[in-house]
Amino acid sequence: MNGSQLDLTRRDIVKSLGAGAVAVAAALPSSAGAATAAKSPRYGMVIDTRRCSGCHACSVACKSEFNVPLGLTRSWVEYIEKGDFPNVSVSFLPRLCNQCRHAACADVCPTGATYKRQDGIVAIDPDICIGCKYCLQACPYDARFINPVTGAADKCDFCLHRIEKGIEPSCVNTCPGRARIFGDLNDPGSEISKVISRNPVTVLRKGMGTEPFVFYIAADHADEHDRKRGWNMRVTTHRRQKERR
Amino acid sequence: MTEYLNWGLPIIGYFFLAGTGAGAATVSASVLLRGGGGGFGGQHFRLARYGAMIAPLPVMIGSALLILELGSFEAGSYFKFLYLFSTINLSPMSVGSWLLMAFIAVSLAYAYTFLDNDASPNDRMAGRRRALAWITVPFGIAVAIYTGVLLGAMPARPFWNSPIIAMLFMISSLSTGVAAILLARALLHAEAPASEAKNIQFGGYLLTASDLMLIGFEAAIVFLFVMFGYLTVGDVGYAVDVIMPGGSLAALFWVGFVLIGLLLPALVELRYVLPKLLYHKDFSPSRSTEMLVSTVVLLGGFMLRYVVVIAGQITGPVGI
Repeated sequence: MNGSQLDLTRRDIVKSLGAGAVAVAAALPSSAGAATAAKSPRYGMVIDTRRCSGCHACSVACKSEFNVPLGLTRSWVEYIEKGDFPNVSVSFLPRLCNQCRHAACADVCPTGATYKRQDGIVAIDPDICIGCKYCLQACPYDARFINPVTGAADKCDFCLHRIEKGIEPSCVNTCPGRARIFGDLNDPGSEISKVISRNPVTVLRKGMGTEPFVFYIAADHADEHDRKRGWNMRVTTHRRQKERR
Repeated sequence: MTEYLNWGLPIIGYFFLAGTGAGAATVSASVLLRGGGGGFGGQHFRLARYGAMIAPLPVMIGSALLILELGSFEAGSYFKFLYLFSTINLSPMSVGSWLLMAFIAVSLAYAYTFLDNDASPNDRMAGRRRALAWITVPFGIAVAIYTGVLLGAMPARPFWNSPIIAMLFMISSLSTGVAAILLARALLHAEAPASEAKNIQFGGYLLTASDLMLIGFEAAIVFLFVMFGYLTVGDVGYAVDVIMPGGSLAALFWVGFVLIGLLLPALVELRYVLPKLLYHKDFSPSRSTEMLVSTVVLLGGFMLRYVVVIAGQITGPVGI
């Protein structure tokens, strides 16, 4: 997926064509740059699993950033072990809210507490969330939980309070392997856009049609169901529910 | 396994109670409009009265149960659920909450028109009763069907994500509604004078035959659901595996719902309905038989909600 092409609507294309007709002499790259720079940001994250060592620094940073209650997680790391000795491997899959373009959670929220922001972040207003748990059911990534302190649904929001001040999310800031890259996908000059352009990236549970904005490089998409094909494999998390959901 | 369950017994109880109440109201209003004083002689007025009086209570108890399981209620904000009524959007839960509130109001008003002990097809309430019956039917159907739509709205829950669940819930609601009326009638009706015996007998036949037909539809829907679940692969296939032989909910589904909740009452009902239908013999189940059949149908309705709500939550998308 090419970062600079994300979110190009027909209107944008018509607009940029119009701009091109007016300024025929203008160099093409710069006019394209001008058209996209005016757009509002579209935040996303790339997780390069080759650089992840499963150290849980992100999990801990997230826990302390939000004072997440015991046993619950906004951000977690799955350990994927597979094979029979000596042909074995371990890989890690950091997980968080995927900030989907088609956010099932926002679609089912009866009070409008969960909503999709202009910049792509799916946010929750805990003041009007009644804790009906419909969104917990609707999320294909099990990214949500009920915060027992507020009684409201809770999940990763890319550290909204930090990025509004221009600071990167806590997990990105803390990752010692620099496995996490956060940025604006509408800006072709941003690091995340460059990384996505230059690497094959995948998203989780693509078949759900949610179109996530969290991308993975070299993620192991093996699942415990693959055991049925005769492979020895195991997925564990440090969440209250040890199995992947 | 229980840790996975975000929606537990309160929600299951709500689905069952609201479905039964909505079904009873719909059946009562239909009976009234067809032959309970709505212009057709009024010989089934008493049936309509039973249904109308039963309907509001289970729906209100169910709605109260619903509030108990809200995260906000558990965290001590007891009235935060009122935010549901500060807005309306296309979430099935939002639409459903408004429908539910409207239904409770309508069914209470409808029951009120029957409240008088001497209520009869042509008393001073008749006009109002008839008007409310016309409103009760669509609202009752809507409350019976929306819970299934609510469950079906999520691709992340493959067991629920099918249009047939809503249909199944609606038919089951009507069936349990009929059963609730039958049960109330069997429990409450006094020994009838000889002049009315024929009428009461025909009322029982009408209800039992309708229930039999509804159970037939329900069985057909269950067959379709199970068959498509069996024939497909992937997420839905894995999800439906939990009610297939060997699955963790297979016994509850096949014995609790299909055998005890559908087949058993259907066979007993056939035993009494067929002679009347084919040979015009007397419809004469004993009071205890009627009680047994209706109790078993209600039990089956609960089992269905139980199995569906649990199965949807212990299964999910496969692969990552």
